[in-house]
Amino acid sequence: MSDQRIFARYRANEIRAELQNGEMKKVKSGVTKKKNALRKIIANLTLGNYSEMLQLFPEVMRFWPIEDDIEVKRVCHEYIRTLGSIKPRSIIEALPFILRDLESRNERIQIMALSTLVSVPFNKFTDEAFDFIIKLAGKRTTSGNLLKNAIYSLVQLDDYDHERVMSLTSTLSEIVDHHLENPTIQIAALNALYQIHDRDAKAPPYHISVDTAFNLLELLPTLNEWDTSTLLEVLPITVVPQSHDDVYDMIDMILPHLQHVNSAVSLNALKMILYLLNYIDEVNETIIKRLSNSVVALLEKPAELQFLVLRNVILLLLSREQSLLKLDVPYFFIEYNDPIYIKDTKLECLYLLSNEETLPQILDELEEHATDIDIQMSRKAVRAIGNLAVKLGEKSAQKCVDILLHLLEFGVDYVIQEIISVFRNILRKYPTDFKRDIRTLVRYAEYAQETESRNAMIWIITQYSDILPDYLELFETFSQNVLNEAPEVQFSLLTSCVKFFVRSPSPATEKLCVQLLKECTEEAGNPDLRSRAYMYWRLLSVARENTNMVTPDMLKDIVDGELPIIELNTKLDPAVLEELELNIGSITSIYLKPTSQIFRMNTVKHLPRSRILDTDKGMLRVIPDSSSNENVSSSSKGRVSTSKKNGVHRAPTMSDFDKPAETVYKLKGERKSSSNSPSKLARKPSMLMRKLTLKKKF
Amino acid sequence: MSSILYILSETLETLVARNLRAVPSLEQPAAQFKRLYHKGAPPVLRGGYPGDLEDNWAYVYIQRDSLFFVSVVGNDADAVETLHYLEQFYLLLRNYFDVKVLDKNLVLDNTVLVMELLDESIDFGFVQVTDAGLIRDYIRVKINLPELHTTQDPGSIQLEDDLYGSESDEERKKAEKRRRKQLQERQPARTTKQELGHLRKKVMQTWKGKGSGKKHAGVSQNSDNDGEGDDEDDDTFMNSDIAKTTVMAVSWRAKGIHYAKNEFFLDVIERVEYAMDYPSQTVRKNVIHGEIVCKSFLSGMPELRASINKILHQDKQFLASCKFHQCVDLANVAEGKEITFIPPDGDFVLCTYDLKRHVRDQPVIKMSRFEIKAKPAKHKLKMYVTIEPHFKPTNATSKLNVRIPLGRLFREYRIDLRRPLRFKCDSGKVLFNVSDDFLLWEVGAIKGGHGETQVEMAVEFSLFDQEAYDREQEELRNSMNPPPLVTGPRIEEIHKQVHEGDESKELKPEPLRIDFEIPYSTLSGTNVEYLKISEPQLQYQSFPWVRSRTVNADEYLYSL
Repeated sequence: MSDQRIFARYRANEIRAELQNGEMKKVKSGVTKKKNALRKIIANLTLGNYSEMLQLFPEVMRFWPIEDDIEVKRVCHEYIRTLGSIKPRSIIEALPFILRDLESRNERIQIMALSTLVSVPFNKFTDEAFDFIIKLAGKRTTSGNLLKNAIYSLVQLDDYDHERVMSLTSTLSEIVDHHLENPTIQIAALNALYQIHDRDAKAPPYHISVDTAFNLLELLPTLNEWDTSTLLEVLPITVVPQSHDDVYDMIDMILPHLQHVNSAVSLNALKMILYLLNYIDEVNETIIKRLSNSVVALLEKPAELQFLVLRNVILLLLSREQSLLKLDVPYFFIEYNDPIYIKDTKLECLYLLSNEETLPQILDELEEHATDIDIQMSRKAVRAIGNLAVKLGEKSAQKCVDILLHLLEFGVDYVIQEIISVFRNILRKYPTDFKRDIRTLVRYAEYAQETESRNAMIWIITQYSDILPDYLELFETFSQNVLNEAPEVQFSLLTSCVKFFVRSPSPATEKLCVQLLKECTEEAGNPDLRSRAYMYWRLLSVARENTNMVTPDMLKDIVDGELPIIELNTKLDPAVLEELELNIGSITSIYLKPTSQIFRMNTVKHLPRSRILDTDKGMLRVIPDSSSNENVSSSSKGRVSTSKKNGVHRAPTMSDFDKPAETVYKLKGERKSSSNSPSKLARKPSMLMRKLTLKKKF
Repeated sequence: MSSILYILSETLETLVARNLRAVPSLEQPAAQFKRLYHKGAPPVLRGGYPGDLEDNWAYVYIQRDSLFFVSVVGNDADAVETLHYLEQFYLLLRNYFDVKVLDKNLVLDNTVLVMELLDESIDFGFVQVTDAGLIRDYIRVKINLPELHTTQDPGSIQLEDDLYGSESDEERKKAEKRRRKQLQERQPARTTKQELGHLRKKVMQTWKGKGSGKKHAGVSQNSDNDGEGDDEDDDTFMNSDIAKTTVMAVSWRAKGIHYAKNEFFLDVIERVEYAMDYPSQTVRKNVIHGEIVCKSFLSGMPELRASINKILHQDKQFLASCKFHQCVDLANVAEGKEITFIPPDGDFVLCTYDLKRHVRDQPVIKMSRFEIKAKPAKHKLKMYVTIEPHFKPTNATSKLNVRIPLGRLFREYRIDLRRPLRFKCDSGKVLFNVSDDFLLWEVGAIKGGHGETQVEMAVEFSLFDQEAYDREQEELRNSMNPPPLVTGPRIEEIHKQVHEGDESKELKPEPLRIDFEIPYSTLSGTNVEYLKISEPQLQYQSFPWVRSRTVNADEYLYSL
């Protein structure tokens, strides 16, 4: 339509003229005109044309009281919000209008007015907002939406006036504990409390009692998806389970939500379960299976979500001492149309998943990628093969090396360069195992053009000069042109020539050494290179002149010492891992670094202490499914979350297994019945409750 | 928890910005995002903007169609929730505009609507509701679609039907028309029962709306649909029950829904994704994406019970991958019983699942032969394509199209289009698309089987014959006869016109694609055994309809 022009920069008087024009005509077209003009104001605010639009303030104020149309109201409020957050003082005159809207009988206008009040960071507005919220809390019969909005606005108000919000927290807690007829509001209050406490670095973290947590968890079937997600996000840390039974009960209530279509829900359920697993010492294999399944299902989501899942869940879980996920390798095979960030992460996952068994599969896949057209990809694949060789034992390394040598024949320069680079790492790890392959590798010496591969080649030639009869010729192809090399290559050339000389002092090596030292001291421009060359030179001359001070053995030790064997460290620090697991799904876990390193202002999360906290993570035992039959019954029993009153699946080591089961059941029954409210969905009484009532009759 | 939400254009210009947490500036974060973003960047970018010392922001974004949906979040934000919300919001917009692809202009034309949708779906950064069906009852701003779309209104309805089944199912279509009418009538009907006060106001406004519509028929935007959409014009009016719905226990269904005829449609749709590299005969992909799509036209608060055979048999792969709509009680799924749910009104997706097939499992429609035989001596080139169906012999395809790319053929051989192409096929017909260089073989309906039946097609092209051409030209110049009369279009000229300047374009190898639809069967055997509807209060008679079909996914192809 012709409204294209709405989105363009206008001057204030243009719009003003249009508004007045609309007023002149008393007919309906005037209204459309005015609406159009107001839309232009919003468009200009989006474009950032603030100072011009501020001039229109009196006009907007004139419209406010006379128009009853909700769209006009919306535009007016939007105008105040946008300008209010930038120049709060200039719009103080709008306050009475907002207050009048706050008294409106239309709930939507009330909500609009409240959020406008809250989004202007100015104390007069804030005061009014507080007054309104306190008044609202006093009333017993308030509409749900408005109350929910008021609760959430407290989180925003917390930014302005922490003390006053803290004074209202008791009201919120009351809602969390007792407000039973409206689950959404309960969740809103819980979330608000959590956010407010989270913001405040001084206050202790927010906690709720186990009973409250159970009451909230019972609401799960009636909550909408986003509330479910919120609840499961807030619960970790907030609730500290006190007995193993509590933990098993909670896990059983949460388990079904792993299958929710909303990925936020399923991931938060996963997070909650992982948190709870810290408080038990044994876990059934079915739970592990279901966790893995839900993660795999999340991998089918759009690329962005897939990235997050790969990044934070899998990397985290795999880097545990004992992995909590059982995943098949093929899920992480790279698809040609994956975005580059997913390809990278998948490679990392493959690396973490690799072991003796899965290696052949992974290597096949990587070999295919190494010959890919995509240069970046094929380089990464070669690098990954090299890393695998270093990570796994000698037997696997042999397989990796075979593939690398096979790829050498492929004859593409960047692949060869990459292979040379990774071969250095392999030789550092297994100095003697692959000696016979060095001859083959050295044949490709002239391919090494990039800094890293040149460096690696020089190192290999130097280190294995004893098995290379023509090492000097090979070396000379690199050393001819020292001055034009990259600094790193210059350094390694220098070191290598000294090593040659120290190892076998002969006229040839001496000539080479002197020539290089001369070039590096007299012609090189790099001061670091010069001073290192001087250092070597003096070292050599001291060794020659005064044999007492530096013996040849000492010299050899200094220049050509034993190299430590390299290790690739893939495990995260347990403390960091603990923190990251509590942050699953959040921004920090993407980077796999402790929060304090990424965001300076963040508070660090810790597992709250409890007498059942399993401090040693490696201790979590996985109970294998002994008989599938038993498993079905136990898991089904546990998961009747609609009628959770019957016995939950217990691991044999639970603390009270010698006590009669009936008492346990009774407790559960009571707890559940306390939260049965009329507004909830009518559900069939559970089998167990029926049994119990029957028993009483007898 | 998002602090600011942006919708940015392809060039990262701000189209819509919404300040959720009173952040002092809306421009600087957008500018910073522009700085941080590069093609192929991961969906989470970190970095504060200059002037903000705390460095506490991160940008979570998705790119859909040509738009960027960006959320500026604090450090403690749940990134997964944010991403999922952005995705849902994108779907919400698409659903609202009733288009398949969003673009810049659509958003610009409807800024106020987008703002309102944002407001409704997120409060102070806390996600509230993203279900289009529910929001549609709240927000009734008229959508400002370009002229093109409004004139093609029947077309868009067609699209909607596509979701449900493109086969001509007359009865069902009729039923749907009836539903649509009822949907429009529903709103006023409910008010008479519930809110007399509102009604009076409404009647007055309707009257006012009609009057003005007549007076300013030329000027008013809404005049064209005044007759049917009068309750939509009235945006202050709203069913108060719906307002309460979002905070109720069953948040996805409003109370007081009434239909004269109670029907529930359930479709099990399986999309088969298959990719094969034909020369090397390696299968790259063989996956089923299943979906259970429902349409609910039921009164009151019905409780439905359905039994899916895969759940009953505890199929491991199915249970591992299935995801359910929020209305489904997930506890029953794990137990291997029937599933129970109170459905939302209108369209919704009950369940999605993905099943992997073994590489050696035959594809539903297999291309068993693709061959190009050139006979330079005769200046002829023949192309053969053979396909064979691999599904139950009792079923038949309702649609089967094979799209054979010719781009490479035209590059490798000099095809002489002056001489007509000759086709021969066992079933259906073959069409030649001159502009995009492909053959479309419309096979139509074929019966199933397991490799016994084969359907073949052969095409004959003429190759350019320099000798004959020279002879012809010579003849033309020397003889007195006029050149032979050509009736119909000159394909070679059209082809030349269309493909002028094509050489500069990047040439991508095109795969052979197969589109098909097999009604009344699912490839994986997923089946809904029964569907029971019960509404304890109203006790009405109801009609559950269950169907299933197998179609191709976007990617069902053979690389040649």
